[in-house]
Amino acid sequence: MTITQAISNAARRANGRKRMIVLYWFTQMMVAALAALPLLGIAVPMLAHSGWAPELLKQFDVTFITEAMQARPGVGGAAFSAYPLIIFLTMTSGVFLAGGAVKLMVQDATVYSPREFWSGCGEYFWRFFRLMLYSLLLYAIANALAGSVKKVADKMWGDGLESAPMVMAGWVSNALLILLCGLVSTAMDYAKVRLVRDESRKSLRACLGSIWLVLRNPRVMGAWLILAVFWVLFTMLYQPVANNIPAVKMPLILVLALWQQLYILARVWLRFVSWGTAAELDPELRPAPLPPEEFVPVLSTGATEDYAI
Amino acid sequence: MRFLLLSLLTWSVALAGLSKHIASYDIQATLNHKTHTITGNETLTWVNDSPDTVSTLQFHLYMNAFRNTKSTFFTESGGQLRGDQFKGDEWGWIEVKKMRLASGADVTKAIRFIHPDDNNAEDRTVIEVALPQAVKPGETIQVAIDFETKMPMVFARTGFRKDFYLVGQWFPKIGVWETAGFRYSTQGAWNCHQFHANSEFFANFGRYDVQLTVPSEMVIGATGEQTKRVENVSNKTTTYGFHQEDVTDFAWTVQPNYIRVERMFEAAKETTAKEIAYEAKLGGVPEEDVRLSDVKMIVLMQPEHAEQIERTFHATRAALKHFGLWYGRYPYKTITVVDPPYGAGGAGGMEYPTFITAGTSWKLPPGSRGLEEVTVHEFGHQFWMQLVATNEFEESPMDEGLNTYSTTLIMDKVYGGIGQLPITLFGMNVWDWLHLPGISDLSLDRAAFLMSPADDDLLRKSWQYYDSQSYGVNSYMRMGVTLDTLERIVGHDTMARLMRTYHTRYRFRHPTARDFAKVASEVSGQNLDWFFNQFFFGNRLLDYRIGEVTSEQRRTPMGRFEKGGTFQITTRKDARKADDANDENKAFRKEYLGTVKIQRHGDAVAPVEIVIRFKDGSVEKRQWDGEYRWVKYTFVRSSEIESVDIDPAKKYRLDVSFANNSWVSKYQVEVSTHWSANVLFWLQNLMLILTSVA
Repeated sequence: MTITQAISNAARRANGRKRMIVLYWFTQMMVAALAALPLLGIAVPMLAHSGWAPELLKQFDVTFITEAMQARPGVGGAAFSAYPLIIFLTMTSGVFLAGGAVKLMVQDATVYSPREFWSGCGEYFWRFFRLMLYSLLLYAIANALAGSVKKVADKMWGDGLESAPMVMAGWVSNALLILLCGLVSTAMDYAKVRLVRDESRKSLRACLGSIWLVLRNPRVMGAWLILAVFWVLFTMLYQPVANNIPAVKMPLILVLALWQQLYILARVWLRFVSWGTAAELDPELRPAPLPPEEFVPVLSTGATEDYAI
Repeated sequence: MRFLLLSLLTWSVALAGLSKHIASYDIQATLNHKTHTITGNETLTWVNDSPDTVSTLQFHLYMNAFRNTKSTFFTESGGQLRGDQFKGDEWGWIEVKKMRLASGADVTKAIRFIHPDDNNAEDRTVIEVALPQAVKPGETIQVAIDFETKMPMVFARTGFRKDFYLVGQWFPKIGVWETAGFRYSTQGAWNCHQFHANSEFFANFGRYDVQLTVPSEMVIGATGEQTKRVENVSNKTTTYGFHQEDVTDFAWTVQPNYIRVERMFEAAKETTAKEIAYEAKLGGVPEEDVRLSDVKMIVLMQPEHAEQIERTFHATRAALKHFGLWYGRYPYKTITVVDPPYGAGGAGGMEYPTFITAGTSWKLPPGSRGLEEVTVHEFGHQFWMQLVATNEFEESPMDEGLNTYSTTLIMDKVYGGIGQLPITLFGMNVWDWLHLPGISDLSLDRAAFLMSPADDDLLRKSWQYYDSQSYGVNSYMRMGVTLDTLERIVGHDTMARLMRTYHTRYRFRHPTARDFAKVASEVSGQNLDWFFNQFFFGNRLLDYRIGEVTSEQRRTPMGRFEKGGTFQITTRKDARKADDANDENKAFRKEYLGTVKIQRHGDAVAPVEIVIRFKDGSVEKRQWDGEYRWVKYTFVRSSEIESVDIDPAKKYRLDVSFANNSWVSKYQVEVSTHWSANVLFWLQNLMLILTSVA
């Protein structure tokens, strides 16, 4: 199976589970809304009845940010200190939702039902959660590797008086970081698929096996690259339109909000296609386990029947 | 007779140029590129123009700030300044090898290190020399000094990196004798501070004749006009001569691969007759006083920034024009703009007479105005620090703050502010792509001011601020916002006159913040003590806010009332019945009791205007003196209150919250929805990234 065939099949799988994608998107939005509350809790009460609101809330206005910090140092501090926890919770919720999503993307014959989805979320949560913890280590290694490129360049450049080579070294380092993160992310997709397909609880084995699989089959990174290109294309379509919606009146604000959510929905779809692609390619890339040995009865002496082996 | 001759000599020295030449220098120096040392000798001519008899001399040996980690500069800074870190072992120092007077007396052994600011015995940035014979009022003394300066690795204004040198604060420099009545002095004494992490400089005006011998491959730039260039073929060096009168310092730079470009600022082409007439009228001065003069602009650019040369010239021209038109013509013949290389950013963003260092980055997007900002700002110091030579040690906001105010005016006028932040992704301008709005200098100043609005007095000795951030905010942005507020109080035209008057009156002099306050009251014709006492010399926080706004419909009164000599009781039931009837009667004219409470949250008291708008379109204006902590206004109207604005003209940029200065009855549902949608969207994106990685 070629990569494009795998992606195309995965897209078909995703399109066949539209209701699941919508459920995923909705749940994700609810979690994001919860995480947004601390920020909104500062901005909205400060400005909901202020004539300065339109001016101060213009995008992420630098004056408003410092004014808010000055006006409510305690609240602002609390909101910012809450964010590591919020990031952890959003990551965890992502892991939770992935359980249901991967289960339904992997199993060909399963008919989508919310019950199946939520049961998958619960069933695979701890396996995927352990996988997430392992992946953090892998991302740290990726970051260190990419950072070392910059350090080496810095050392080689020494007292050089031009910044261009260092800026370009930074680009190389960033590109390497993105590639390595893509590699780890792809491997984690395969690990999830493996855990679901094998009904295995061995997250570490799945993680290492998938890293090995991705390294042995670099073409799977081609799938990652194609999906990344799709993401860039979606973004290039989204941003200019969003830039040109003059969101000052309510109908246009709602149009913008709708456009934003369409973009998010597209990104959710891409995530599903990514899992689906892993589900498509996994059986081909991973040698199927040997069939169990057949039972061969031992015949007693003098038997008259023949057994075909 | 001798006295008369000496007096005449003093007079001629003192009035040789536009300024009183108190401290003039003739310097010969040679750069040894291998050892990064400068060997030099200087002849200082110092005029005692005070009525005091001066028995000692004090000198700055600034370069000793980089001598070791025990210097005051290092202990205060921790070896980093403005984000640049001292690394390695290339320390810097200066040694006075010999000091002789014109009389022949060798006073080298009379040199002792003093520590007037912090008693740090390890600091060697100030020396005092006891003179064998005191310098009498009006007398001139000449001191010949042999010195050797080792340049440090550049991280704080001065130093070297590879073959780049920015040489500032490099020679023994005399302090300023302050007689009683001069600035804040109550008795004659030297003003010669140690070199601190958060301090710049202070010096008398004078003439500088400097001969510099450097390796021939080096391209040179320096304070003043080049007078000489002689190649010394035998040792592959070249000697350059530079001359400048009426300045307070001398700095120079060399690097072999500078791109050196010269352009002329042609005053007649840069300004129109209309502009001249307008500024002359505004300043109340003859047009001749406003006309600018031609200036040779020299740019020394790094090759990798070659495409930004024209941007540098454009910013320099804008600065020459507007500073000149607003405050008086730039009196020197040259201005040199230096672009320090990568890794020498610590030398950037610095000002010396007729010589400034800017700084930029490779492929700086055209919409990012960082290069223009730093060029205009550093040029501005020619006016606020060099021509009006305030004491940067003691009143840093009087140069940095005034300059921030002026820079902001020019940047917003010429470029529309600092524009975009230079955020690029693989060379793509992210700011542009996300359609984020450009940032004006005015809002950036206020945003920075709000980070530390009243944690320190605005005016303090620079090393006495709470920390370097407080020094920065107070010296630059807070003073900028304070002056912007002053402009809105006295009006644009008056402020323009005020700044021009202050500048021209104190050009080539050493004024203080008190002098500025006096000029402000004089020019505006107002008693501005309330403003200056609170915001210049005091430390008051300004924060007005709307406390409570209510509009209640007036209902039928209840109780016992006298009517026509008899008493009637309106019961609760009667009143309700009457109210119900009124509510149903469309012709009934409703009345509302509107209440507005305004609070003063900060400790600053300032007269403020309050505007109350009603739903029927009527408007009420009130002027509140702000004396008590709050004020209440009540109105009986046929309409409810629609909005309340404190200081609707936004005069008080110093008010720490604009958000609470305004109240509108209508919930800002559009703004809240837009903001909420954006926040939600960005968080969803973040979540999707996290989902992808986990």
